[in-house]
Amino acid sequence: MCLMRTHSRADLTKTLAMTTPFSPPLYMQRYQFVIDYVKTYRPKKVIDFGCAECCLLKKLKFHRNGIQLLVGVDINSVVLLKRMHTLAPLISDYLQPSDGPLTIELYQGSVTEREPCTRGFDLVTCVELIEHLELVEVASFSEVVFGYMSPGAVIVSTPNAEFNPLLPGLRGFRNYDHKFEWTRAEFQTWAHKVCRDYGYSVHFTGVGEAVGHWREVGFCTQIAVFQRNFHDTMSNAKRLEPSVYRLMYRVVYPSLSDNNIYQRTLVNEVLYEAQHLRQEWLSRMNMDSSNNAHFCAPPLMDVFQHGLEGGTRDCQPVYQQGGTICVPLARVWSSPRVRALCGSVQRLREELQVDSRVRMSADGTVLILPAAADDEDDEEVEEEENVKAVSGVANNVEEDWDRELGCYGNV
Amino acid sequence: MDPKRPPFPGPPGVTRMPWMQSAEDQGQLPDQPPLGRARGLVLPKDEPLPGRGRALGVPGEMPVRFGRGITPSVSEPLVGIPRGVRLPTDEGGFGRARGFLLATPEPSVGIGRGATVRPVSTLDSEKSDVQEKMPELKTEVEAPGSGSSLVSMFRGLGIEPGKTWGRGATPVGISLGTESDCIRMRFAVCVCSVLGRGFVGVGRAALPPMSVGRGPIGPSGPVSPVAAPFSLQSAASVSEEAPVLPGTPPKVEVKIETVKEPLQKIGTKGSPVSIGSNYIPICCKNEAVFQYHVTFTPNVESVGMRFGMMKEHRPTTGEVVAFDGSILYLPKRLEEVVHLKAERKTDNQEIDIKIQLTKILPPSSDLCIPFYNVVLRRVMKLLGLKLVGRNHYDPNAVVILGKHRLQVWPGYSTSIKHTDGGLYLIVDVSHKVLRNDSVLDVMNLIYQGSRESFQDECTKEFVGSIVITRYNNRTYRIDDIEWSKSPKDTFTLADGTVTTFVDYYRKNYGITIKELDQPLLIHRPKERSKPGGKVITGEILLLPELSFMTGIPEKMRKDFRAMKDLTMHINVGAEQHTQSLKQLLHNINSNNEAVSELARWGLSINLSLDVLNLKAPISFSHIALPVYCICLHQVPLNCWAVFYPRRATDQAEELVTTFTRVAGPMGIRIERPIRVELRDDRTETFIKSIHSQLTSEPRVQLVVCIMTGNRDDLYSAIKKLCCIQSPVPSQAINVRTISQPQKLRSIAQKILLQINCKLGGELWTVNVPLKYLMVIGVDVHHDVSKKSRSVMGFVASLNSMLTKWYSRVTFQMPHEEIINGFRVCLLAALQKYYEVNHAFPEKIVIYRDGVSDGQLKTVELYEIPQVLKCFETIPNYEPKLAFIVVQKRISTTLYSYGSHHFGTPSPGTVLDHTVTNRDWVDFYLMAHSIRQGCGLPTHYIAVYNTANLTPDHLQRLTFKMCHLYWNWPGTIRVPAPCKYAHKLAFLSGQYLHSEPAIQLSEKLFFL
Repeated sequence: MCLMRTHSRADLTKTLAMTTPFSPPLYMQRYQFVIDYVKTYRPKKVIDFGCAECCLLKKLKFHRNGIQLLVGVDINSVVLLKRMHTLAPLISDYLQPSDGPLTIELYQGSVTEREPCTRGFDLVTCVELIEHLELVEVASFSEVVFGYMSPGAVIVSTPNAEFNPLLPGLRGFRNYDHKFEWTRAEFQTWAHKVCRDYGYSVHFTGVGEAVGHWREVGFCTQIAVFQRNFHDTMSNAKRLEPSVYRLMYRVVYPSLSDNNIYQRTLVNEVLYEAQHLRQEWLSRMNMDSSNNAHFCAPPLMDVFQHGLEGGTRDCQPVYQQGGTICVPLARVWSSPRVRALCGSVQRLREELQVDSRVRMSADGTVLILPAAADDEDDEEVEEEENVKAVSGVANNVEEDWDRELGCYGNV
Repeated sequence: MDPKRPPFPGPPGVTRMPWMQSAEDQGQLPDQPPLGRARGLVLPKDEPLPGRGRALGVPGEMPVRFGRGITPSVSEPLVGIPRGVRLPTDEGGFGRARGFLLATPEPSVGIGRGATVRPVSTLDSEKSDVQEKMPELKTEVEAPGSGSSLVSMFRGLGIEPGKTWGRGATPVGISLGTESDCIRMRFAVCVCSVLGRGFVGVGRAALPPMSVGRGPIGPSGPVSPVAAPFSLQSAASVSEEAPVLPGTPPKVEVKIETVKEPLQKIGTKGSPVSIGSNYIPICCKNEAVFQYHVTFTPNVESVGMRFGMMKEHRPTTGEVVAFDGSILYLPKRLEEVVHLKAERKTDNQEIDIKIQLTKILPPSSDLCIPFYNVVLRRVMKLLGLKLVGRNHYDPNAVVILGKHRLQVWPGYSTSIKHTDGGLYLIVDVSHKVLRNDSVLDVMNLIYQGSRESFQDECTKEFVGSIVITRYNNRTYRIDDIEWSKSPKDTFTLADGTVTTFVDYYRKNYGITIKELDQPLLIHRPKERSKPGGKVITGEILLLPELSFMTGIPEKMRKDFRAMKDLTMHINVGAEQHTQSLKQLLHNINSNNEAVSELARWGLSINLSLDVLNLKAPISFSHIALPVYCICLHQVPLNCWAVFYPRRATDQAEELVTTFTRVAGPMGIRIERPIRVELRDDRTETFIKSIHSQLTSEPRVQLVVCIMTGNRDDLYSAIKKLCCIQSPVPSQAINVRTISQPQKLRSIAQKILLQINCKLGGELWTVNVPLKYLMVIGVDVHHDVSKKSRSVMGFVASLNSMLTKWYSRVTFQMPHEEIINGFRVCLLAALQKYYEVNHAFPEKIVIYRDGVSDGQLKTVELYEIPQVLKCFETIPNYEPKLAFIVVQKRISTTLYSYGSHHFGTPSPGTVLDHTVTNRDWVDFYLMAHSIRQGCGLPTHYIAVYNTANLTPDHLQRLTFKMCHLYWNWPGTIRVPAPCKYAHKLAFLSGQYLHSEPAIQLSEKLFFL
């Protein structure tokens, strides 16, 4: 009952690398298989049993394809603790929050135990896992995964014993912790029984093919993909049973589906855009009226002349009204970033009207920004007159360091 | 003890060398055969028996590292002891040892003792003949802080002969000539080192009897209880094994590292104040850390495989290990030698692993610091902080500045250091500015702005900046832009497959590249070798679309308001600073995993900040302060020219009138200028008219240019013309600064003061009561893009008032901090000093800016010898020299502390203990007054001091020098000559790109 998948993986890869080089390496191909599956079927909730060093989870976190909940389970808490930080959000996840939500959880636990929170998943992956179980445990594994959890789909991969003669220098199993290695027939027998018992259908495939006439031994790693034949009825079932897994790590990725983050991101984009337009307008004003008039009050113009004549709807002008500068919402809306964040001007208006950081006109068509605030506290930065700290009192203590040094030297 | 370090080129001499290393290291002649250390044994040969007995009598005690033994009482026994212990324990080349016995014309007692002395067989054979005669003087001491103290000295000798053998030639010379007693010879060396360090009376240290008398009680400090039994044991075990047969494998003896004695660096003057710092004491519960040497037979090359094999033996070693592939540290003691077996997976070869105890370290040893820091990094991770570059930041406390599309991440820079006060955790509050824009976004913006000079603009904007990639948390410095490549190009992966960038990112990270026509960014990693010996070279190509910008955008830097928004979050005051620190300490101590992570090595961190070292630093209230805003010497402005574009005519007129109005009261005579109105403000217009004006009127003393806007190109062109082509002092004024009538008067005053300095006038001074003193400031300016050469600015005082300065500049190759042109500059400065004073300076104090801790040794071994060589070229000239390294960028923060409230310390606060460096005489000085932010002191390290300036003198002189920067009526962070040198180097490197004309060298034209 030890989920030491990593060991077997690493060893196998090493052995194979010397003689039958798979390119890319076999373990990568297995991951790629799962990734491709996720890409095609877009499951929302995925659980990986025997996640060990979390390599697959790490890959899936990049190749999300709509995954919202990613769970890893391993019996060895030490590896989990060691590697869990590799699943933390990257800095870029904070800089550019993704559209969809993502939560990653790591549990310490065993596939032969019934854990209520593992129910209702869309996909369960057991990559190179079952061969580490005793045959008795395989039965309870089938019961727990297919019977109890009954996810939408299950991917099970395991070594193909028929391929072993092609692995040079291999005696016995591929890894010392393997309890068995099945032939294709044995694997399929087990899989078909599972399908019969729990209402799944299965198809077989694999990764790592031999060349030439050896092809007939099949894939180096055989994979069974199970699909549930009935509709999920339990995902909403109440979880009354107590939890048996131990939660080791949980992280919620920042995403735009979080309302606060969405609001914040949107408002920031809007403010940036508005500020940009305002700045542009101000500098153009300055150009036009730069007759040493820097410090006179800015000319009171209700409408900035330039834009008005050519005023199409797309290019509504920025204008000044009293002490404020008005930026039409339509101009802000023309920014592709703002557009990408909210689908329509109506939505944009609604979002902005409830936000305290943005000042808008009553009808919601214009953003109001403070006008020429630039000069108000344009104090000198570098050299303030700060002489007060220095007292002019000269202390008249006679100092002669040469003498002091001389004395010192003679000691 | 870097083996690659260039040999000391300077003249040999006891008084010169010893400060740098411990006793054994002293005075090496480059051309001398590397056999120094061993020579000493010649002495003991003729030495009377009692003396010998004494020398060896000590050994039973603990071997103690010599340290820089300034405090005589302790340093002495240390010297004698380690030798003694080492002798008996060294085994191996028995045959050679016998040779030694034969050769020794000593009484039988001596021989009896000698019998246990066996030099090690690992030594190179050509050296062995020397070695065998005199094993005794070898290696009492290791260089403090050197990496090689890892291993037993003898192995050190065998492995790195050049290094360990190279030194020590000179002490031999002395000892041969002057000493007849082994102990006294050690003493001579000791004295030298004291002389070199310079702060302690020579006489005190040099009393020979002390060594013997103090012997038994010598070693003190926390280790002694641990150390004693071990050393006794090891000595005993060896003597049992004494008659080892020839051919027995050499046995490495166990050494015990002890705590070095602190240097004398505490000043006495001044009044004590309460002060706090960001140094948090760390307690070590472990009694010792054990160092083992691990050998694999047959040898296993791959470090990774070595790790794997050691990992299998965790039951033996325990879970807490630090292993670098050959050296293993454990918090627990194993058997003296442990043999383990492992199997090499690749060929099923059985590997024998031998773990041999080599050293017992105090838990605060320098050797432990690296893995303590690893533990610390893990702790920071456990707290959920994100590593960006070298510091950790908190994603949950991010401040978003939407207006500027950037985020400020608050965080900490942390490190563990061993200072004079013990083991400390140094925490500094750090802020990282990250931008929402990718490099591609910014490129698009630049493209909209200027299509024709797009590539140049991009290079200017990006090269030298740091980006963070989207698919990992790594940061890269952009060194170049590859315009001829795009994401559609291919590259080769480590396994040999060729893939395009587009495919690579899609496959590995599920990222679809949107822009296929972007150029690629180039990062060239510094060449360094990995632990496995693999050398990392070549370039890394990055995609602009996937790289986020970091740092403050250049455009924003110039925007005062935007910077205010930003600095509000970044410049935290002392109160907030301490609050953040407390928060971190609280978080560490309330996180069980973090606490247990630390406890693995027996570490625990104090929870409260209140227990900071509230001892007594010194405040300089008694120093005579200068009176600012006076002119000591005014230069009349008879002939000067003002250039201004037509747009700025009014402001120019206004300025000139104000000048004449304010000049009178300041005592400056000022004539009407030649006014030149330019038809536009293009650079060529400026340059042409300035040039023609200067040629038609050669008497022009000063060129004043009024510029519109912030224009680096124009500024650069004017400065090039006026500093190189037609040397004349010049003053550039931005029209904006003189546009406000209400401020014009005070601004004109300031400008006039500056002009007066540029013309050779003098403002204020302080009294430094040292005769014939020359103060020199040195700084190096590096171009950010590293493309152009580095520039060294050199400024030296020419008179006793410290008001006349001589300045020079030299250019040097990139990546080179070492001052090659120092000699030229110094000689010229000495010559000039002679012209002015008709004598050479007797004391020279050099303030050298911009040297990191790692470069101190280079300074000591390379720069100082250059300085000393300069003096030799002048007959009969031996000035006293103090060489002080100035460090501004340090993580030390000081707080004043009063009534349970943290503030900023007042100017003149000195901290010269507890947080100071154990290897050098150093101090922290807060010279400037702080208006916002925290008290960041400047660190001064006296690397060399034959001027015998006491800590008090150094501190006072330094603080006084901080008053003399004429651009600022107050104190500044660094001594004025450093600031001048900085200004000069910046101007030359940034704008002139060449040395300024020599005619200007006596004027502060660069202000």
